[in-house]
Amino acid sequence: MASVAVPDRQWIARGVERTSASRFATLLAPWFLLLAFGLYSAYLCLRYGLNQTNMDNRFPFGLWIFLDLAIIALGAGAFFTGFLVYILKMKELKPVLNTAVVVGFICYSGAVGILGIDVGQPLRSWFTFWHPNTHSMLTEVCFCITCYLVVLLLEYIPVLLRNRQLRRVPSFLIFEHRFHMLVPVLAGVGTLLSFFHQGSLGGLYGVLRGRPFAFREGFAIWPSTFFLFILSAIAAGPSFLLLISSLVEKITARRLVDTAVLRRLGFISGILTAVYVVAKSVDTLEWLNVTSPALGFAPWEHYAYKPFGTWLMLAEIVLFGLVPAGMLLHPKTASRRGWLIAGAGLVCCGILLNRFTMTIQTLALPTLAFDEFLSYVPSWQEVASFGAVIAYGVIVYSVSYRYLPLFPREKKEVNHVSGR
Amino acid sequence: MKTRRYGMVIDLDRCTGCGGCMVACAAENNVPPSSPRATVRTGLTPMRVQPVSNGAAGAARREVFMPLMCMQCEHETPCVSVCPQQAVEVDKATGIVTQMPQRCLGCRYCMTACPYHARYFNWQDPEWPAGMEHSLNPGVATRMRGVVEKCNLCHARLHSAEDKAAARKTSEIDPGDYVPACVASCPTNAILFGDLADPGSAVAQAAKSPQSFRLLEKLGTEPKVHYRSNRPWVRALADGRPGATQEVQRG
Amino acid sequence: MFPGVDGFHWSFGHVLFLGLFFAITLTICGTVVRAIWSSVRDFRTRRASAICWDLEFAELPDEERRCRHELAGRVAERTCPNGFDCRNCSEYEKFACLKAVAPGGTFGLDYPAGRLYHRGHTWVEAQSDGTWTIGLDDLADHLIGMPDKVDLPKPGETIDANGTAWRVRKGRNEMRVRAPMDGTVVETGGPETGWYLRVRPDGMPNLRHLLRGPEVSAWLSRELERLQIQLGTAGAGPSLADGGILMKGLIDAMPEADWDDALAATFLES
Repeated sequence: MASVAVPDRQWIARGVERTSASRFATLLAPWFLLLAFGLYSAYLCLRYGLNQTNMDNRFPFGLWIFLDLAIIALGAGAFFTGFLVYILKMKELKPVLNTAVVVGFICYSGAVGILGIDVGQPLRSWFTFWHPNTHSMLTEVCFCITCYLVVLLLEYIPVLLRNRQLRRVPSFLIFEHRFHMLVPVLAGVGTLLSFFHQGSLGGLYGVLRGRPFAFREGFAIWPSTFFLFILSAIAAGPSFLLLISSLVEKITARRLVDTAVLRRLGFISGILTAVYVVAKSVDTLEWLNVTSPALGFAPWEHYAYKPFGTWLMLAEIVLFGLVPAGMLLHPKTASRRGWLIAGAGLVCCGILLNRFTMTIQTLALPTLAFDEFLSYVPSWQEVASFGAVIAYGVIVYSVSYRYLPLFPREKKEVNHVSGR
Repeated sequence: MKTRRYGMVIDLDRCTGCGGCMVACAAENNVPPSSPRATVRTGLTPMRVQPVSNGAAGAARREVFMPLMCMQCEHETPCVSVCPQQAVEVDKATGIVTQMPQRCLGCRYCMTACPYHARYFNWQDPEWPAGMEHSLNPGVATRMRGVVEKCNLCHARLHSAEDKAAARKTSEIDPGDYVPACVASCPTNAILFGDLADPGSAVAQAAKSPQSFRLLEKLGTEPKVHYRSNRPWVRALADGRPGATQEVQRG
Repeated sequence: MFPGVDGFHWSFGHVLFLGLFFAITLTICGTVVRAIWSSVRDFRTRRASAICWDLEFAELPDEERRCRHELAGRVAERTCPNGFDCRNCSEYEKFACLKAVAPGGTFGLDYPAGRLYHRGHTWVEAQSDGTWTIGLDDLADHLIGMPDKVDLPKPGETIDANGTAWRVRKGRNEMRVRAPMDGTVVETGGPETGWYLRVRPDGMPNLRHLLRGPEVSAWLSRELERLQIQLGTAGAGPSLADGGILMKGLIDAMPEADWDDALAATFLES
């Protein structure tokens, strides 16, 4: 066995170009700084308590919950692409499958990390498993996200084991080969888990009888937000993948994914966004005319408080729903990368806005006659902690891109997008 | 012991807003002093007296003081169904919505669910100035940072009433033995407390009066804390449009 | 979570929820256990080596998977679909009877006719006592020169065709030399002896996959062409097209060249 360290170049696959190790380290340095600062903020919250945040008794959920829900929805591309490739046999999406797995892993591990500091007593997290309350959507979320994080980790391992040096270890290579044959099982399990937890995250808000802004009727124990969140997640997942792939192409100045694949992702996202717009419109009408009045709230009362006016609802459904659906489906625009990226971006913004309104707007609105409309601005510790998640994501993805064969097309031909 | 439904009827025409109930509650329940960083919205006040005005200005302005605490919801109790680890439950024998701080994860989902804002989170480590630990109530466990707490109708006093009943070898507690701190401290006897399931009790009869109301009845939570007032504008606060009246937060 | 733990209820919803959870957890664990068990079985049944080779071969670029018959001019263009394993190739007979068109000559390198050659640049030679000697071919020898370290298997160990025969380290490069045939190691040699291993195969070995005769020259020509391109970026020394002869110890002579790619392609590493 080699007792001398293997040089960096030999960790990188043959036939692909990567920048020098020192330049790579330089490029990642600011992200490491952000990660360090964010970890320090997280440490402050763990050491001194959640008074380090600006959350309070009227805003028990804040920036972290909003962003957690958003990145879990954006990370839905992992399970959905797996479902499309392994269960529906859409082989044309294989080129983005590895990226989807890495992005999904980053999103979920980041979300779980943030949740670890968001709760008041993180060491008690196992209580949910030991004394589960099966009536609670949050129990469901907890179980599913834990299982799914394990699934994502297991799906990431074969990608890791395809590293050039790790492949040289026969036991790793054989294990990767045998495990890869079982990945469709994991994809199926992942799909089942993801449907449930994406839905339950919506159910979290839909069951809140005490918050008529969020409360929805639905089917059996599941409020309509359960289904709407699933729909919006599977609509946003492919869009987010499209964005990430395009971003990576731009940064590396390489064509890594065929336009046909991006078009397919855009098409899937467009169709699902269109369905979501219809479903959401129907649900909103029902809520405005039936559900909310039954709880004693006149339809437009919820939007009487600046800046959360009706423009929010319209923005969510039209600007970030109908418009990108059109962009991703209309033949003239759906074939061009620029329009696809713009459409995907709008869809992802729609997710952010939806999760924002469900979390922050719900809590800002008064429930009692003598309540006030309240505002909340996250503290720097909250923002920095989430910054750590972003930095972590960039670092993990960059390292994965450098040392792992994420894009099969790259090996086949090395070509350049721009003349760099 | 027979099944009881402990509840309250608070007479808003008698409440002077003195805040004595808030102090008594804090003393009974070992509520720690606020830290210097605490704000109006991060304070721990299981009993909170809220001044509410009728929204008019000048001579037409009227105010009422509303003592607010856990409404002890009976039907589809919002906080019970949402707690991920069953740290909240409705005690079948007494109807009290109990909270287990030792099991609480601090996820604060119950706080989002409660429409009455009756739940409070321990945003910091409790600290008692030197010597103050001698004033702690030995019957009530202190809570740690990062858990939710709320009014539990002075559960420790219920336990001691039950102990006394057991010592007398009877199964029914003497209503005079179980009086929550806020009820006992009120100088105007504005808070009537007792077993709503006992049709003969004063509280059950007061709850049936046409001047009685509960907050947010349309939500269907069936709170066991009632209010009463002769003033129609006060009764309108029950289901009034949220945010309808201007109010000043009492620190 | 379990009956007996506070909070467990024998209600339909509760049991269904936990039942699903345990089923899913078992499925997930099951896949991992199954994969580990299959892997262990692959090693126990000695199929691991062959599977590894198949997987690595699939990752080689097309130019490094040219069928020997294409090299020998028997067929216009053919990528090997078999991992260079002509022993199991259904098309072998069809091509082998065609005439080989070869440039002839071995470019100043020593390739004795009595030996058979593996695409990974090793040779085998039958000995009178039923054993076979295995050595590094002259091209590889010229590239490496004097190795810094050689890791040979011990006598008694088995080697599998296309698996690892021995490892060589030179500078920052560590190469895995592929075994040309199956066998049990009887004796080890080294760079000084001119051969590396002497093995005893099980019965009469099938060596159809090894190159011989005019194929060797055709193959060498392609290899030298490849090396020229891969090392040419360093821009040193006269090229073979000018009639230059490959010098010994090329790694030492051209340290700044991209040896990573060149050596990987030479020793069939993906």
